[in-house]
Amino acid sequence: MSRRVADALSRPVRWPAFLGALVVIALLPMVLGTPYWRGILVVCAMNVLLAMSLNLVIGYTGQLSLGQSGFFAIGAYVTTVLLKSYGWNFWLAGVAAVLAAGLVGLLLAAFAARLRGHYLGIASLGFAVIVYQILINWESVTKGVRGIYGIMPPPPIRLPGLPEISFGNQATLFYLVAGIALCVYVILDNLVRSPIGETLRAIREDEISAASLGVNGARWKAFSFGVSAAIAGLAGCFYPGFVGTLVPDAFGIVESFTMLAMVIVGGMGTMIGPVIGAVVLTFLPEVLRGFGDFRLIVYGLALTLVVLFMPGGILQAWQILTARLRGTEASESTGGGR
Amino acid sequence: MSDFLALILQQSINGIYLGCLYVLVALGLTLIYGVMNQINFAHADFVTVGAFAAFFSATRLFTKWMGMSDGTGYVLSIFMALAAGALLGLLVNAAVFAPLRNRSDELRPLIATIGVSVLLENAQLILFGPIPFQFDSPFAQNTIRFGKIFFSEQSVLVVIVAALAIGGLYSFMKFTFLGKALRAVSQDRETAGLMGINENFLIALTIVIASALAGMAGALLGPVIVLTPFAGASVIVKAFAIVIIGGFGNMEGTIIAGILVGIIEAFTVQYLGSGVIDLVVFVLLLFMLVVKPTGLIAERREENV
Amino acid sequence: MSALLEAKELRKSFGGVKAVQGISLSIPEHSIYAVIGPNGAGKSTMMNLLSGTYQPDAGELLFAGRQLAGLPAHQRVRLGLARTFQKIRLFKQLSLLDNVLAGFHIHHKVPAWQYLIPGAAFWRDWTHCREQGMALLEFVGLADLAMQRAGSLAYGQQRMLEIARAMATGPRLFMLDEPAAGLNSVEVGFLLQRLKDMRERGITVVVVEHNMDLVMKVADHVFVMDRGEYLFEGAPREVQNNPKVIEAYLGGEFTGGLDS
Repeated sequence: MSRRVADALSRPVRWPAFLGALVVIALLPMVLGTPYWRGILVVCAMNVLLAMSLNLVIGYTGQLSLGQSGFFAIGAYVTTVLLKSYGWNFWLAGVAAVLAAGLVGLLLAAFAARLRGHYLGIASLGFAVIVYQILINWESVTKGVRGIYGIMPPPPIRLPGLPEISFGNQATLFYLVAGIALCVYVILDNLVRSPIGETLRAIREDEISAASLGVNGARWKAFSFGVSAAIAGLAGCFYPGFVGTLVPDAFGIVESFTMLAMVIVGGMGTMIGPVIGAVVLTFLPEVLRGFGDFRLIVYGLALTLVVLFMPGGILQAWQILTARLRGTEASESTGGGR
Repeated sequence: MSDFLALILQQSINGIYLGCLYVLVALGLTLIYGVMNQINFAHADFVTVGAFAAFFSATRLFTKWMGMSDGTGYVLSIFMALAAGALLGLLVNAAVFAPLRNRSDELRPLIATIGVSVLLENAQLILFGPIPFQFDSPFAQNTIRFGKIFFSEQSVLVVIVAALAIGGLYSFMKFTFLGKALRAVSQDRETAGLMGINENFLIALTIVIASALAGMAGALLGPVIVLTPFAGASVIVKAFAIVIIGGFGNMEGTIIAGILVGIIEAFTVQYLGSGVIDLVVFVLLLFMLVVKPTGLIAERREENV
Repeated sequence: MSALLEAKELRKSFGGVKAVQGISLSIPEHSIYAVIGPNGAGKSTMMNLLSGTYQPDAGELLFAGRQLAGLPAHQRVRLGLARTFQKIRLFKQLSLLDNVLAGFHIHHKVPAWQYLIPGAAFWRDWTHCREQGMALLEFVGLADLAMQRAGSLAYGQQRMLEIARAMATGPRLFMLDEPAAGLNSVEVGFLLQRLKDMRERGITVVVVEHNMDLVMKVADHVFVMDRGEYLFEGAPREVQNNPKVIEAYLGGEFTGGLDS
């Protein structure tokens, strides 16, 4: 076998990174020991899920979606309503919520089949507004703006021979959500490295060209939207039990923008970029608490500056920096730029 | 005149008044999109800044400090709002659009404007606090009556100001050299260079016009909306819907769509209640996108392979 | 030799412009078939009709006896039609190898769950596609650059990469839209050799070309169009000496540039 073919066949070694991630997840609640910081950790894990979900559509498939908050809302409300009004088991309700979000994602994909660029962006924004308005107006089910109160965290898991795992405290809830996020990361990472990932990237780069290779653009965009929506719905399952209350205002279109910001700031079209973006944008407002009232101003400024001076996000800026330090040219392997 | 007919007429008039307000906001978005192919999410905050500029000049500067009458103060405050919007536009252009312009990228400028929006909203939050301001227009109380139809002097003022602004912008685009250059750029980037006009100047001009319109809309919306640092957001999503329904970058389409959405809103309030306005508008938007994705009056173009 | 692709009375207009007006042609299997004509002859429209990028207003299309009418481009690929584009359309941000790998889209035989959690079948397919992909890059002389970004290639190399990518679909009929446009003479020579190799491998090649010289050197059969209509067809030598063809090329507004 020639050297070139051998290069093409070399597989990346990923288990050290996976083990590292496990260790970090295990240690985080101990490092950040107060209930407040552990709460931030749970939020961070949910944001990682949301950023990864949006990245599949925007970063890998190249479809501008501003409707992700709608899927997050569907996940949260379907879980809670099934749980509180119909007495379902949490885990079963969660599965139903993920499926519901995924199906609505397929519905939105029907628009994506016809629309491009900013048009799709505004259409998906319209979708998020519609979901938000339904939450407010469908009072018999969602309780409208008054909201749903007293939502319990996920029920404890009792496995024979093991101590009961309760999710009443922030640390175990963090382990649950972060563990799921890690699983989703690994599965998505496999997916985007597989021929399906090749197909999605082909659509991102040039849909007509992809069609000339036998790719059914509408079908694969639907796939991408569906999976992305389901993952956002998955994040939504854990939100109500964590906060304890559910009000429509938690799912305004601003949330969609925040998710988009995480993807862009971290580095879209890469797997680790949106994770970095989610972590940075979750912790940034907390770190900026020293600025008091000015912290959100600094946050807005930081967001603008990152976009202005790091067009490929933090990940690419880091790669360029380390490459410079090593005295080599920056690698172009990150993709993502469009 | 029958009661029913009077009702229809009354709601249509209310709708046109609302529509004029929306058109002023949406035109700026459409202008920026047409010329630069970019969405400005901070546009909402230009509206809010305009509203606050108008509020303080109408209730303090012109009346209390300079001793003008309430009416003169309010009318002059519209110009203050316009100036505030234009100034802000100039700043945002220099900070965001000018540096990002050459990267031929639709996402990053959008995120940058989201950052600007967060910054502006929270700066205003610190300056003005979260409690809504009571911005009364001196013209809101006086009603004019024609048979069974009523409308306030304020709505007449809004329609007149909007008509003047829209008419002015329209004739600027149609009849002046600069306006023609702007339209040329929105059709084809390279033409502007051929016409010998500095593209940077054209883009700055576009942003300033768009922001001035937004600021002015703020002055007229101030008495209608709940005036907080986040006030603009309530109008902007509707403005986006209008821009799409009218066809991105299409001025005439935006004007028609804006008035149409205003009328639909007036009738929705009458028959379905005010809670479902956004629902109706956005369902209409999605329907439009399925039926005619290029907007109300745009022509269809097949992709060149 | 039997016809692999047959078109009967194809018509297509855009607005008021009649781009293709009743063209019938029959492409024999295992041959190199050239469609030529001056600017504005409707060659590219013809290509887009055959590949399914456009649907005809009227007429019939048969591929190996099967009706193609109404089939979108991506489904025609599964039947064995592949194409390149006149204006190169590569996945510019992706590596050369990834460009070619995308071409294997219709050939993966992996259980769906293995895309999420790779198993033996997945890795077999993975290895196979990469070996085949490298072989195709070798075929077009780009294997050394496999890991580079497609956007960084020189123009002639981009054309060759597009050919390798389309080859990955495993076509029976391969249509190339002005493959020699923008190539230097060395590159044209290489391209000619590759076209002949494809014919050797049993692929039927359709070349839509503006450049007559190239066509004369390689084509088995030449079909001449002018202003959307049939002008003449036959062996290269007959075409070269046909007065109607000469007039269309010399008498017309020969600009030698791009054709749309």
